[in-house]
Amino acid sequence: MSLRFGLVGAVAIATAWISPAQCDTIKVGIIGTMSGPYALFGQNFKYGIDAWVAKHGSKVGDHQIEFVYRDEESPNPAKSKSLAQELIVKEKVQYIAGLYFTPDALAVAPLLEEAKVPMIVMNAATSAIVEKSPYIVRTSFTMWQNTVPAAKVAKARAAKKVAIAVSDYGPGIDAEAAFKKTFEADGGTIVQSVRMPLNTTDFGPIMQRIKDSGADMIFTFLPAGPPTLGFVKAYIDNGLKASGVKLLSTGDVVTEPDLPNIGDSGEGILSTYHYAVSHDSPENKTFLADMVKAGAKPDDITMASVAAYDGARLIYKMVEATNGQKDPDKALAAVKGMKWVSPRGPVSIDPDTRHIRQNVYLREVVKQDGKFLNKELQTFDAQPDWGLAKN
Amino acid sequence: MTDRIMVDGMSAPRFSVPLELRAVAITLALGALGYTLFPDDLAFLTRLISITLLVLSLDLVTGYCGVATLGHAAIYGVSAYVVGNACLAGHSDPLLLLLVGAVAGAVMGLVSGLLVTRFKGLPQLVLSIAVGQLIAALANKLSSLTGGSDGLSGISPGRLFGVYAFDMYGRTGYVFSVAVLMVVFVVLLRIVHSPFGLLCQAIKDDSLRARMIGARVYPRLVLMYGVSGVVGGIGGALNAINTGVVGLDSVGFERSAEALVMLVLGGAGSLWGALIGSIVFQVFEHYVSAANPFHWMTMVGALLIAVVLFAPKGLVSLGGLLAGRAASLLRRRP
Repeated sequence: MSLRFGLVGAVAIATAWISPAQCDTIKVGIIGTMSGPYALFGQNFKYGIDAWVAKHGSKVGDHQIEFVYRDEESPNPAKSKSLAQELIVKEKVQYIAGLYFTPDALAVAPLLEEAKVPMIVMNAATSAIVEKSPYIVRTSFTMWQNTVPAAKVAKARAAKKVAIAVSDYGPGIDAEAAFKKTFEADGGTIVQSVRMPLNTTDFGPIMQRIKDSGADMIFTFLPAGPPTLGFVKAYIDNGLKASGVKLLSTGDVVTEPDLPNIGDSGEGILSTYHYAVSHDSPENKTFLADMVKAGAKPDDITMASVAAYDGARLIYKMVEATNGQKDPDKALAAVKGMKWVSPRGPVSIDPDTRHIRQNVYLREVVKQDGKFLNKELQTFDAQPDWGLAKN
Repeated sequence: MTDRIMVDGMSAPRFSVPLELRAVAITLALGALGYTLFPDDLAFLTRLISITLLVLSLDLVTGYCGVATLGHAAIYGVSAYVVGNACLAGHSDPLLLLLVGAVAGAVMGLVSGLLVTRFKGLPQLVLSIAVGQLIAALANKLSSLTGGSDGLSGISPGRLFGVYAFDMYGRTGYVFSVAVLMVVFVVLLRIVHSPFGLLCQAIKDDSLRARMIGARVYPRLVLMYGVSGVVGGIGGALNAINTGVVGLDSVGFERSAEALVMLVLGGAGSLWGALIGSIVFQVFEHYVSAANPFHWMTMVGALLIAVVLFAPKGLVSLGGLLAGRAASLLRRRP
């Protein structure tokens, strides 16, 4: 019997956590990695949104905005789709946002038109996502956007033979294609190209292959999370760094929370990315202060929180433009071409692709006052999504 | 009637409706209950039914034959992928897809049965994991067939009987799934209480003895694996039809392990146990993860510990216990 009561009690406590809905509440469903190995980034979604709400209030006009969180856990398209369905049908959300992984975002996309719900992608970085529905906007980045500058850096730093190692899924394949196309157009050679399964934990054999290929630089992408640390460690431990092979990556591989774990040997790793926590601007200072007020630890802040912060800005704008009515076309029209200064720098929403146009920075891992950070060396202004840009 | 001999160790009621009728009534009642209590959660309930079929399928080999396996999701996932590909190739009739799933599952079941049941104990467990991992690795590599980590998406089955569409609200999917579950459950009740099913249980209890009375152990186990494959395959097919996406998670180790956890929770060796276990586990998980997406895993862990402590033979034994107590109370009455 005690089991029974225990269960009933547990469920009762659990349901009590859901706050009761108020009248004229506009709900926004956030699907993110709230538990498991990628939990840090789901929590960053929440911190970013909380920071925005703390600054701008929880109301737009007379409309109360409520954020409802769901846990996508891992790349699990079937689960994400049914979570989105639940948010739309049961919670009656007007907007869906978040989405850490590309497969999950792709699974949700087909629901949007039937449900008339706009989706704000706050991370998933495959170019093609925004093409899957006219109701998708993205405030994060794409692989093409961050990788094309990386290939230019490789050329500028006189790399001749580059080995590419990417995670074997949508964004990884995008990164590979973007780097290859840009670098070869500039006259470089790709000597090795490895696609690593997403669940790889032992990178030793891959390092050996790269070593054997005689490359003088590695370009890599893995989704930000535990595996990136393993990759960088394997790069150092297998002696590639010591033998002078340079490591160039997108910023996903050297997110700030991982830097202390990589340690001193990580100094000098180059990356191209749209946001460094150390970015020097008044907007970023205020943002970081707001984040801390919202409960985030300074060392836990990543790019996901900025994407969420800006995503919340778009949601508020959409609610304002539609006056709380369910009108996805009007909502989308309101944010197309929108320009503002984000904590990451000046940004705008490209009216054609509905993807964010932003500066991409070349950074280097350095140690300053005993703390590791990504120091910005060079700025590539107002980069579009090169994967979608018609050129 | 052999039917009533082995009803989960419970004492058989003296005058009772045939087991199959009861099963029909109970699954229909559960289905209607789900529909009325949670009309907005049909997508979830549909997914629940699909997983329930996997747990039932696992029960057939683990609960009834004593085969230890941690790779059962291979059957489920492969059939989901086959159904997905069939649908993408233009065969979109849901009933046809279900049949495709059942056949794919049967083939997978027979093949893994041939391998896994050759061994016993730990080697068997390891082999089952190996088969599962092999399939998972293949699913990742053959991305032209499976979509790799991006998942196989764009599966849109046609209308059921040409009338009812599988839409976002999931009514068609739900009713369809309940009907499928009911049919499968009744057929399985028949099978596990048939001479063949009873022989499987005898093999589980003492395979040497079964051999002594002339039973051919290996072919029986493989056959049961095939039956289990059909059930798991139908589950996988429902998953593909209803969600329209098949991801690597559907062949993954975690899916196999979770199915085993649900089975143990409900009570292995009883179809009712499999049913109860998967319903309780998934409903609990669903509500806790919605209420607190950040720390829900802790609560699920607490539930499992509680069940293992208080009802080590599964929730179904708890039901038997309560029924027994109620019966003795009734008897004591003058």
